[in-house]
Amino acid sequence: MENLLLWVFLVALGFFFGRLAESRHYRSIVRREKEWLHLPTTTSKHPIGDAGDMPPIARSRLAHGSVVVSIDYFKRMLAALRSLVGGAVQSHETLLDRARREAILRLKESCPDADQIINLRLETSSISNGSESSIGSVEVIAYGTALYFERKQ
Amino acid sequence: MNYQPSLPEHNDNVSHQHPLREFLFLLAGLAACALAVFWALGLAVDVVADHVSPEIETQINRAVSLRLVAKESFAPRQEAMLQALTDELKQCAGVSQPIQIHMRQATEANAAALPGGHVIVHSGLLDKVASRNGLAFVLAHELAHFKHRDHLRALGRNVLLIALSAALSGAHSDVTQLLVPVNLAGYAQYSQQREEAADREALRTVACLFGHAGGATEFLEAMRATEDRSSTPAHYFASHPRTELRITALNSAIRDLRLPVKPAQPLDKGQ
Repeated sequence: MENLLLWVFLVALGFFFGRLAESRHYRSIVRREKEWLHLPTTTSKHPIGDAGDMPPIARSRLAHGSVVVSIDYFKRMLAALRSLVGGAVQSHETLLDRARREAILRLKESCPDADQIINLRLETSSISNGSESSIGSVEVIAYGTALYFERKQ
Repeated sequence: MNYQPSLPEHNDNVSHQHPLREFLFLLAGLAACALAVFWALGLAVDVVADHVSPEIETQINRAVSLRLVAKESFAPRQEAMLQALTDELKQCAGVSQPIQIHMRQATEANAAALPGGHVIVHSGLLDKVASRNGLAFVLAHELAHFKHRDHLRALGRNVLLIALSAALSGAHSDVTQLLVPVNLAGYAQYSQQREEAADREALRTVACLFGHAGGATEFLEAMRATEDRSSTPAHYFASHPRTELRITALNSAIRDLRLPVKPAQPLDKGQ
């Protein structure tokens, strides 16, 4: 009986704070994505734009941004229930979506003066909380090459 | 190639269904499945319990019963009085196996039937009953558990609970935490049914012995006077039905069976 009450409490706690954290995070992501829209970012290995119009590249450097987000108790339970019957694990979709977008934003924020980010890559890894069967949190790392053009004097 | 910075119009990477809906849907479905499995296997246990031969029942009881240490009784006269009353009840109760009464010094008014023909009676019980009939009802209730083979049924269901939770915890421990309480609620519901059946049987037994049903509800009424009336959800997990409901059920059974109610005999507590 106590176990059940504790479980209901944890699920309610996870649901309430998880939703709160998620909606705050999404608001922040949407705002910052607009802010950083001016920085061209591509998965291509070559700079964007016509070679003739482009100023020479002064320097380049490796840029990266990574984020670790944890799953809440409600999402964990929902995923556990889902794992019994199969199907899309919707509870993890928003978690990973936020992580990917946050990692790219952090990458951009790490090189505010760059003119372009090229060769953008994303990698995801799970950090399990001791037990092998459950995913505690996920890390998403975004990395790419930041290009700095020569400034006209 | 022209680069046009833009944000996606909508997010297609996430589902927009409310997660609570999915959660409740899955939870209700799985809880219903777990209860159905437990219920169906429980019925199988009942069938087995009804058909087990007395020899096998004795063997099972011997395997699971506690080794009660024979020690000097602290109230030998009271114990002898309880034993005599139990022996008188046995024929009416339809119990042929030997039943042994063990008194324990405890203030909580309670009695319990243990596999192997042992009945534990707390000394506090004698403070709650004033009549022979009231005491006989409590003892007859415990005898009914032996007659109904409730120990076998409870044992079978507990084995089921453990097996089911072990099977589930192998798959996912988080889900076990969730489905075991659901099955415990199912088990409590079943246990309450068995208690009701034992109450009805006890009523028949005392009516057979004394020729009337007077004093049958005495103990339960004394318990009702002291118990906490607040209604909590914990009731759904309790092994016994609420005292209030047990008394009502007994009174309506007395009416239905047209049992005469006469004054109860005072109890010689042997003190």
